[in-house]
Order: sequence, then structure tokens, then C-alpha cells
Amino acid sequence: MSESILAANPATREGRPWYRNRKLDQYICFWSVPFFYNLFGLVFVPLSWMMPPRSPTSDIADVIAFMQSPNLLIACTILTLAIGLSAVGNACYMVQMRRMSVSPVFLFAFMAGAIVGAVVGALFPMFCFGLGAFRSGYDPEILQMMYDFGYLSFIGSLGCFVLNWGMLGLAILLDKNNILPKWLGYYVIWQLMTEFFVATVWIAHDGPFAWDGLLAFWFNMVIYVPWQIIVYVCIFRAIRNQPENELRNARFKPGATYA
Amino acid sequence: MAITTADAEPLPDTNGNTTAPGLVPGEASMWFFILGDLLIFGVYFVCYMVYRGEHAGLFLQSQRHLDQGIGMSNTVVLLTSSLFVALGTEAARAGKAARATRLVGIAFACGAVFPILKLVEWLPKLGAGITPGENLFFMFYYLMTGLHLVHVLLGLVILGFVLRSLRSASTPNMKFIETGGIYWHMVDLLWLLLFALFYLIR
Repeated sequence: MSESILAANPATREGRPWYRNRKLDQYICFWSVPFFYNLFGLVFVPLSWMMPPRSPTSDIADVIAFMQSPNLLIACTILTLAIGLSAVGNACYMVQMRRMSVSPVFLFAFMAGAIVGAVVGALFPMFCFGLGAFRSGYDPEILQMMYDFGYLSFIGSLGCFVLNWGMLGLAILLDKNNILPKWLGYYVIWQLMTEFFVATVWIAHDGPFAWDGLLAFWFNMVIYVPWQIIVYVCIFRAIRNQPENELRNARFKPGATYA
Repeated sequence: MAITTADAEPLPDTNGNTTAPGLVPGEASMWFFILGDLLIFGVYFVCYMVYRGEHAGLFLQSQRHLDQGIGMSNTVVLLTSSLFVALGTEAARAGKAARATRLVGIAFACGAVFPILKLVEWLPKLGAGITPGENLFFMFYYLMTGLHLVHVLLGLVILGFVLRSLRSASTPNMKFIETGGIYWHMVDLLWLLLFALFYLIR
């Protein structure tokens, strides 16, 4: 249906410079996502070696060396500055969820889940990991505690995202406007199954269920990364196919006066 | 999700001829979920076997704490339930809605016994201090049977929607009934594997 509307109004796609595209807001939000994830990847891995996660049973000397590394403080600063981009990226989902024929409860619960996830899963660990290099005199036991706190909130917080993604999955399945494909709804719910298994990091110190373990971390990553890419591809298609008459951007009204 | 499948894609309700040659029974996107779910469980099963090989003594000793009687009862309950779902689907295909409702109702009742049996099994263990933190075997055990239990509960919700669809619609939505049935058979299949891996292999 959307294709036919676009075909009927050629001006909506052509004959207009990109910066006057009426979906520019959504495209900016969308393209912030690859920027955000690439920045995260660079900061997590080569800059600080925060990821892949270090072992919960690491030697205390290794923990101190890691926690006091200046690169870790720089990484935490960059991530704390950049975490706001997650709000921009999540806006892509929310604009599309708003078009679905489902209760607004799904949208609000998704939003709240995303906020809690960002605070617990991103900001808490940054504050923990940044402290060691900020002041050099902390006791080794305190650094060890911050290390545990950092990784537990970083990896153990995936439960917040279970709610977040669960709301998206259910909204897709219940939606009758077919904003996103139904198989994606099942894919979202399917991916959630692996996130339940992360609860084990609160119990296991080593083996497959520890925070650096085969099942609690590595298998989840293998499932999560392609899934996240596919979700964003579907979101991109939903933005592209959204008819212009469904956009909610306020238009400039010549002669408008204050009420 | 159950509502969607019933309402979003109202299919021509034919009595028994919805499965055209070359098409899978039920909704195609549900198969996507089922194959994916089997893949995830498959990876966990393989990991379980690998770690079992590495810690054979620990796993064998821990397995002795499991009650094969309750495990067997769970298997019988689920298999019976699956049989009634299959019979109910056949009845719905033949246009006998009342009979299908009765059969799926029995399947639901059998399925509802499963979580109760799980509680009977888990609570004394947890009371005796055998928790997921006990050792690697019990972590696998609680996690995988727990995830399966979540599937059973979701399956009961779906069967509830199937019952509602059978009772309220003048002509049953076969696609939806088949989708619910396929999901329920998957839950059954997963339990058979769990039962074999945790209770039987010695």
C-alpha cells in the first residue's frame, strides 16, 4: 500500500534535496545507530579491553592493573558522553511502534525499559570502572568490589532488555497495520530466550554460566549481533515505506498566531 | 501473539483443506520461531553433553538426586496432552467443533498438571538447599527445565486462545489451531530430550 502511495506522489521521493526529506529526523536517528555501535566497539575492545569480559576469578593484581588503567577512564568518559545517542537510536523504534495498532502501553513500557537498561547496563559500569584511575589510593578490596559491580551490572542487567524487547516483539505480533514483519516479532521473542540465561552470572563464578562464560556471554553475543542488525534493517525498511501522509511532523502554517 | 494469529490473518475457513500441498501446517512465521527455539535448545544440549563428559563423576552423582518417577509422570502428562491436541485438531478439521473443544480442553487440563508436578519436584529440592548454585549440573538442570517450564506456561496460554477460538467462532480458524498445536508438540519434544538427558542417561 505504501509503495502505491509513494508512486502516486513522485515528489515525495524525488525532486527534493535530501536535507528537505520529511523523514530526515528518522534517518538521522537511524544513522546514529551504526555510529554509536562502532564507537562502542572501538572503546570497549581496543581502547580499554573491557570486552570481551575479564574473568570473575581474575588475580587481584590483574584486577588492580585493569581498574587503574588510564585508558579505562578515557573509555568510561567517552561512553558516558555518548550514551545519550542510545536515546536517539531508540527513537527509531518508538516512532514506528507509534504507528502500530496496539495499546500505547507497549510504547511506554519499551521506552522505560530502554531507559532503565541504559542506566544500569551502561552508566553504572562506567562509574565503577572509571574510579580506579580517577584516584590511585583506593584499597585493592574496593577495586575488586567495583570490578564485580561493574561487570555484574554490565552483563547481568540484560533482564531490563528482556522487558524492552519483549514489548517490541509483542507489539509487532499484535499489530494489525503490519508496520514490521510478523516473523520479526517471533525473532525478537526468540532472541529473548537467550537473555534469560544471563541471570546465571549472579551465581556462577566460573564455567559456562559465569559473566565471561560460553553460554552466559559468548553464545548470547553470537545470537544477539546478527539479530540486532536484522532488526535495524527492518526498521530502515519501515521508515522508507512509511507513507508521508502518516508522518506526524508538524507543518509550518503561514500566518499562525499565538493562541 | 495468539490473538494476532487468529485475528490479523483471517484465512478462508475451509474444513480440513487449509493445508494446501507444499505448504507447512500452521502459520509460516511460527515455524521460524520453532526452528530457532530448537536451535537454541540444541546448543544448550550439546554444551550439557560436553560438560557432562568433562565432569562425569559430578554429573552422575548429582543426577541421583533427581526423581525419575516425577520425570516419568511429567513425560506421560505431556505426551497425553499432545495426543489430545492432535485428536482435537483432527476433529476441528472434520468440522466437529464441540468435539474439538472437548479434546483440546482435556489437553489443556493434562498440560496444566505439568507446572504443578514441577513445583512438587523443585520445592523439596530447594528446601533441602539444592539450588542452582550447588554445582554445574544443577545450574543446567534448573535453567533448562525452568526455560522449558516458561514454554509450557506460554503453551497453556496459547491453548487457552485455541479453546476460545473453537468455542466462539462459527467456523474454526484452522491455521491458528494448527499453529497452537505445533507449538505444543515442540514443547513436548523438548521435554522428551530434557527427560532423556537429565533423568535417564547414566
